[in-house]
Amino acid sequence: MPNYSHRMSKRQRICLWIGLLSVLAAGLLLLAGMPLLDLLTTFVGIATIAIAAELLLIRYPLRPEYPDRGIWLSVSTSVVIASMLIYGWQFSVWLDALTALVAGLVTAHLRNVHPRWVVANIAQSALSASVAGLAAGSFNVLQTGVLSATALGALVLGLLVYMLVNAGLVSVTVALAEGVRLRWVLAQTLLSLPRDILLMTPIAFLAMAALHAYGAVGLLGVLAPYLALRQAFVLAARQQELYHQTIRSLGFLVQRAHPYTGGHLQRVSLWARRVAERLGLPPDRCELVYEAALLHDLGKTVLDERILNKPDRLTPEEWEEIRKHPQLGAEILRDTPFLAPIIPWIALHHERPDGAGYPFGLKGEQIPIEARVIAVVDAFDAMIGGEAPNQRRPHKRPLSLDEALAELEQGAGKQFDPQVAAVFRQVVREWRTHREAKAGA
Amino acid sequence: MQGAWWALGIAVASIAALAYYAFVVLPARIHRWRRDGLRAFARLIELRTQGRYGKAEPMAELASAVALRLGIPLYERRRMELAVYLRDIGMVAIPYHILNKPTPLTPAERDLMARHTEIGASITEQIPGLWHVAPLVRLHHVVYSEQPDAPLAAHLLSALEDWIRVAESADADTAASALKQGAGARYHPVVVQAILSEVRQRTLDGVQSLTRSAALWL
Repeated sequence: MPNYSHRMSKRQRICLWIGLLSVLAAGLLLLAGMPLLDLLTTFVGIATIAIAAELLLIRYPLRPEYPDRGIWLSVSTSVVIASMLIYGWQFSVWLDALTALVAGLVTAHLRNVHPRWVVANIAQSALSASVAGLAAGSFNVLQTGVLSATALGALVLGLLVYMLVNAGLVSVTVALAEGVRLRWVLAQTLLSLPRDILLMTPIAFLAMAALHAYGAVGLLGVLAPYLALRQAFVLAARQQELYHQTIRSLGFLVQRAHPYTGGHLQRVSLWARRVAERLGLPPDRCELVYEAALLHDLGKTVLDERILNKPDRLTPEEWEEIRKHPQLGAEILRDTPFLAPIIPWIALHHERPDGAGYPFGLKGEQIPIEARVIAVVDAFDAMIGGEAPNQRRPHKRPLSLDEALAELEQGAGKQFDPQVAAVFRQVVREWRTHREAKAGA
Repeated sequence: MQGAWWALGIAVASIAALAYYAFVVLPARIHRWRRDGLRAFARLIELRTQGRYGKAEPMAELASAVALRLGIPLYERRRMELAVYLRDIGMVAIPYHILNKPTPLTPAERDLMARHTEIGASITEQIPGLWHVAPLVRLHHVVYSEQPDAPLAAHLLSALEDWIRVAESADADTAASALKQGAGARYHPVVVQAILSEVRQRTLDGVQSLTRSAALWL
């Protein structure tokens, strides 16, 4: 058995990483020296505008299924790169660090963020700006003229290097903090890189021209169209967020309005997401598992509620009807493109690893892991009687938590996927401890 | 500043393009997303009522065309289109045996059935992104003589749904005469006019394309 006792805790690793970043960044800032004194007015002016822009960061998710992925239009980065080409890299390193400091403090205050993330952000900004300065510094833009192809090339290069370095550093921090694999975070960040650069280049170019011609005052003129744009993006983003909730809550309400289905959906979906996270699925998948668990019984709303509510034993024909509900759920969602990934999970949430499930009688690995998760969680919640009172069959007494856990263990490998069941048992135990601790306090 | 105004031109043009994207392309795309999401719920009702209610696609298309004739603005047209998909969502709470009763409904059952507009509206009202659609869901069977002040889009939905039902069970001429008879009483007269001219236009277009393809064949 390997001995892991020498390994650091997550917290220690994060602190070490941020410490390392900070020392490097502090060295670079000292090396750059304070911006020349005769540029101080310009520096303060540009910094004020950059800070305002950073606080008004455009954040717009491109696709509703991935709310965290999308356009991140940071205008302060454009300003930093533009001023780098006009005033030199020392200027822009200080500018970026100051912007990150003030914007970070405001955000930390508003959103209750721990100060160490502000420190991490400052260090990441300063490091990215210096590397970008190193790359773009060889172009003498003032000599070739600001409105030239060379200037444009230098600008794009500066933006590219800045974004790449920043993406790398931020991804490491996020991976350490969230405990997800670096590869996923990096892929997510890098995917949007070309588009971000495409969007930032025109703003940076205009900013550079304005800075060159009119100094900090010129920058204000560039910011006006940006603010108008921002307004449109913000409205669209808000609508889109609402929209994602829309389908969720509509599905939930429809299932509740139906006389049969009850309120266990919320708990089932929260548990399913937790299990998916523990199984190490990517974050966006986990979010979809949550969604799928919320909608998994949508097909039942199509069925005759007299069958669903029947207290006595069902006839074979009635069973036939009930067994249709997973496929009906899939049929309902057929034409909704952004829910396409969850359709198979809903269609297969009554399959069993031993092949005794319905509708197809698939076995083990043939069933998607997400469907196996929903199956386990759904069955467990039904066992403990978590469904609405009118949904409980009178001849079935709800089990206690311990009895249900034992049943879960017994069914592992037959009715339930053993790996999923093991993880879920852990989740339930933790939930119970948490609940008892809360009740005790 | 020397030369290379093209660079400045490109920068300004790309910002204009971005603005176009933000103000025109994005809202249209968001509307499409919403519609696609709501399509699921129209299908749900369609499955629950075995195809008798909830059908949305052809109605949404026809309703948009008629609304265009009536000069209803884009925002209202989009709201109406979402209402077409959501209008029968309240039927999820109507008992299955009433929805699927093969024989005609008794008056009591018809009263229960009529509550689907109110139930649907109360479901829709609870959803942040759709509350603005709720009034149209509530009024999609509105009677002109009772509520002449209801939104024009609601009058449109009410008349169009009846037209489609009669046209499917009988034929377009019967549906047209039923609509004409009800104009001013059950249906909004302006809406009836617009629906009938849209339908006539389509029939003409259909005949024309038929003769054109016949001419090609000959």
